[in-house]
Amino acid sequence: MIEFDRVSIALGDFLLDKVSLSIKKEDYYCIMGPSGAGKTIILEAIAGLLVPDDGRILYNGVDVRGVPTEKRRIGLVYQDYSLFPHMNVQKNIAFGMRMRNLPDHEITRRVQQLMHQFGIEHIASRAPLTLSGGEQQRVAIARALAIEPELLLLDEPLSALDPVTREQFIDELRTLHRDQGLTIVHVTHDRRDAVSLGTRMAMIIDGRLVQEDRVGTIFSSPRGEPVARFIGYENILKGTVTSCEGGICLVDIGGMGEVAVVAGAKKGDRIVLCIRADNITVFKDDGTETSARNLFSGPIIRKSVSGSLVTITVNIGVEITVLVTGKSAEELSLDTGSSVCISFKATAVHVIPWSE
Amino acid sequence: MAGTGKRRWLEITGNTGRPDWCLISFAIIGGMLVLLPLLALINITLGQLADVPYLIAIATQKQVVDCILLTFGAGLLAVIILLVFGTPLSYVLARTESRLNQVVESLIDLPLVLPHTVAGLMVYILFMQRGLIGAPLKGMGIVFEDAFPGIVVAMLFVAMPFYVNSVREGFQKVPVHYENVARTLGATRFQAFIFIVLPSSVRHIFNGCILAWGRAISEFAAVIMIAYYPMVISTLIFYRFTTGGIKESSAVAFVMIVACFVVFLALRSVTRYLGRYDDRV
Repeated sequence: MIEFDRVSIALGDFLLDKVSLSIKKEDYYCIMGPSGAGKTIILEAIAGLLVPDDGRILYNGVDVRGVPTEKRRIGLVYQDYSLFPHMNVQKNIAFGMRMRNLPDHEITRRVQQLMHQFGIEHIASRAPLTLSGGEQQRVAIARALAIEPELLLLDEPLSALDPVTREQFIDELRTLHRDQGLTIVHVTHDRRDAVSLGTRMAMIIDGRLVQEDRVGTIFSSPRGEPVARFIGYENILKGTVTSCEGGICLVDIGGMGEVAVVAGAKKGDRIVLCIRADNITVFKDDGTETSARNLFSGPIIRKSVSGSLVTITVNIGVEITVLVTGKSAEELSLDTGSSVCISFKATAVHVIPWSE
Repeated sequence: MAGTGKRRWLEITGNTGRPDWCLISFAIIGGMLVLLPLLALINITLGQLADVPYLIAIATQKQVVDCILLTFGAGLLAVIILLVFGTPLSYVLARTESRLNQVVESLIDLPLVLPHTVAGLMVYILFMQRGLIGAPLKGMGIVFEDAFPGIVVAMLFVAMPFYVNSVREGFQKVPVHYENVARTLGATRFQAFIFIVLPSSVRHIFNGCILAWGRAISEFAAVIMIAYYPMVISTLIFYRFTTGGIKESSAVAFVMIVACFVVFLALRSVTRYLGRYDDRV
């Protein structure tokens, strides 16, 4: 549906650098990356608000360089919702249809239908600035859908919402995507959004596309260290392969001996090991047997409680972060200074090449 | 007033029951400044009210009424010209970043810093019958020297920065996102400007008009350089001061003060209700 073919856009000191990506029909496509990575620029380029300095943007196979924004059927919702302050809710929703010269009775019918769909009939005459964040967002999405777009662009639409409204909205967006078969491009820096909603996603870091794939694939197999860090691998260690046998490699990461990993590497290769905190088991140093290949011991040097989960940092020569339930932490008396064993399976380690 | 951070005068002690010495001391210091125009106003008012029949006689003089109408009309025309030409310029300045903008903004601000006689001289040299603009327009029958068009261009010249700066600031406060969204919804650049940007900045445009009009009708030096006649009200007051003395000139001045006060009070009342949605943009 949308293809970026080595698209470059320079804005002041920032450069979106030769980005190639592909958004397919009915995708819920998440564009993820840190703030200032260039995610919104990609959205605005899709909408035609920014024109590439180099490269092509293809819409259904056709280069849309010369097609003005108003001629593309693309809905856009910004993080701040950008509701027109001088129009009430009804007029905001009707604006796009008025610009497209639809007959009045059709505009009225569609506005009523959208307000009903999003449960905002009761605020039809209200001014946007008097609405709550959740209400504003519903109006913004209804307004974008009023033009029956082929593509809906969402720029961090959940970031300003409280947790409860946010959960409701994730459900509503999921329903919208599933029931209407709408293609959605959703910019976010929150990995929860991508996991909850996305089918495919792109990782943008410093203006470059570093990985594009199915959401599950990116989260399980990040292609580089920056991606691994961004999607939340708590433990990222660098080391050198010392030996390989039967698909299992031993990696010297310095200070704590060797880690066994499953990797198609050879002796001398420098690699990065990514281990999720919840893939590590912790137990008291009491001789308990485990089948895990990687078994280390050391003192707990930090402990923090977040709701029902406890994060502890164990020093085994390098610092390893482990996530346990509050109940386990209590049962094992996991306190700062106490000595524990940690273990993880060789298959729990995601291996990526070490690039300087 | 909750939520705006502002307090009514009676709430100056705050809701704690203790006096807010910061606000009180600032009010005293600031009040010294207000005293100046207030005393001047009281002084002239008491002087005029001492001889009401004379004041009425002056106020109903045809020349005085004509001069006030001429001044207000010329100012209004200058503002209309600013609306037509200054609005697009303000939008360009608000939405672009260029070194050229600094040059243009400096040119627009020039009348703010120039002595008004210098501004008048510049206008005169440009619009006199042998001037760069005056000469070709004379061939078309438009004369600026000692004529209504001369008053308008002099007023336009001095009022320009007040309008352009106010409206540019208003446009800058309208997020570009509004226009972007409007365009995705099917509006062209022009439609986005007309339907979204203009209504969102209506208060700043109206304020710009009031400031520019106020500046225009108060101009004296720049106007007399190009058009002593027909007399605007400030020229008439100066003329009466030099020929008839303080009593006659201050009576005319008082009539002008009352007229201006009524007009500006009405305009400011409109501003209170105009484009209130803009407050939180």
